[in-house]
Amino acid sequence: MNEELDSQLSAMFDDELAPGECELLARRLSRDEQLKARWGRYAVVGAAIRSERGVRLNAPLAGLVSAVILAEPALAAAHGARRTGVRWWQPLAAAAVAAGVAAVSVLWLRAQAPLAAAPLSARLTAPTATVPAAAVVPAAAAGAPDSYVVPRTPAVRATVVVPSTELANYVVAHSVFSSPVTRRNLLSAFMTGESGTAAEEPRDDAQGNVQ
Amino acid sequence: MLRAMSSSERFVALTLAWAVAGAALAEEPARQTAPAQWLERMNQALTTRNYDGTFSHWHGGRVEMLRIIHRVQDGTVSERLASLDGSGREFIRTGASLTCYLPDQRTVLVEQRPPDESLVSFPALNDQTASFYDLREVNRTRLNRRDTHVITVSPKDEYRYGYRLWIDDSTAMPLKTQLCDTRGHVIEQIVFASLTLSAHIPDSAFKPEVSTVGFKWLRNESAPPALAAATQAWNAMRLPPGFRIAARSAQTLPGSTDPVDHLVFTDGLASVSVFVESQRREQVDQPSMPESATVGSSSAFSTVIDGHKITAVGEVPPDTVRFIANQLKAQEPPSVGSRRP
Repeated sequence: MNEELDSQLSAMFDDELAPGECELLARRLSRDEQLKARWGRYAVVGAAIRSERGVRLNAPLAGLVSAVILAEPALAAAHGARRTGVRWWQPLAAAAVAAGVAAVSVLWLRAQAPLAAAPLSARLTAPTATVPAAAVVPAAAAGAPDSYVVPRTPAVRATVVVPSTELANYVVAHSVFSSPVTRRNLLSAFMTGESGTAAEEPRDDAQGNVQ
Repeated sequence: MLRAMSSSERFVALTLAWAVAGAALAEEPARQTAPAQWLERMNQALTTRNYDGTFSHWHGGRVEMLRIIHRVQDGTVSERLASLDGSGREFIRTGASLTCYLPDQRTVLVEQRPPDESLVSFPALNDQTASFYDLREVNRTRLNRRDTHVITVSPKDEYRYGYRLWIDDSTAMPLKTQLCDTRGHVIEQIVFASLTLSAHIPDSAFKPEVSTVGFKWLRNESAPPALAAATQAWNAMRLPPGFRIAARSAQTLPGSTDPVDHLVFTDGLASVSVFVESQRREQVDQPSMPESATVGSSSAFSTVIDGHKITAVGEVPPDTVRFIANQLKAQEPPSVGSRRP
């Protein structure tokens, strides 16, 4: 990736790129897999910020995003999939890590004032630390019109707790009764998590508050 | 971060090595299969085929590579799951024996399951399952040069997670899996980087790579108590919609001589295990504090009821295991520190 393009990306991210250039760059994002992957990482920051601050896309920018989406076949496909899809790929599903959606996330991000005020170092560090390229690349590389949403609260979920020996016993015993696909998820998480013990339940975690 | 970057680079390299070989290629694709049938075919493929694959597992901002080897030979299932990065943990199943190598804890857990338990058909999707999930085929797409059916399994309430599955048209193997939370956000993803379906996998493939010199071995060598005598006392007073009790057993866990009641609840896709064990004498007078933990996207919750420690574990949201654990009741209140016959 050349420096000029990288600079444009940074400017776009910092809300310092002219609207016209911004749109051009968004179009290029829809075609450039490497660029998409890079922006996918940035998008995660957006998801984190959205989660933490409840920010929303403003109307004019939403219009611009829609125009870009509809003008680009790849993005339109992803957008269509989102509109007809099931409910877990929702708003700004767009925000995601894969194909053309990255451009949407970019445009969405730059609209957020809180983001511009955030320390640059935090913004640059978080995405590479929390979003593995492997989670980004496969969908784009496959050419699939994927559109999925990055974890809503990566900061909360960043700590993967693998249980003490006692809980390990429970997990192994339980795995026998899991369906094949969920069992694979469970055991994979068990294989990869960090060591730790069960955490004390947060006292402010009210009953009924799912995640 | 370095760990994640290393994994991703590795992933790209491995993606290039994608290969599906063997008899599976000769299969006729089922073009008009319903989503539920795709799930059944997938479960069949995962549990009955021989395969050797490498995949990335992404969760909570981390990605790691794992290798899975699965074989069914003469009716015996062998499986090895190993972390290729970091922890070096391995899980090996040979028939009824489950062995967990935990190098970071310098521990090996060995659990012997009853021989009549089967992984193949549990839990099973049925009409009731359809009441709590919306199953759809939303797309057909190419993934790693393979034709796949994208099947979504959307929960209709907040008691369970959803899935998005890329199922290979020819082999019904899930080449990519996304687990979504109750809001629809992807919280866990598995993507195969390489996968080989082989007619023959040698025994040597199921040997651990980790050296166990100096490790502590924990086994459940004592015979489990009789089922009826040990497990009839506990039941859930209420369950989340769609969940039903599917299994009960009494067992001892590795490293322990105390029997544990094991109740399993399922909605046909997700399952929750509840373990009930008597508090040890030294624990009875201690204040009990509910605890929760996560293993990837799975949840665990532990509390104390009537002098018994209740622990619920399952691939469901935290509130679901908490709800189920708190609903456990003994039909006749047991005395503290003793088990009801």
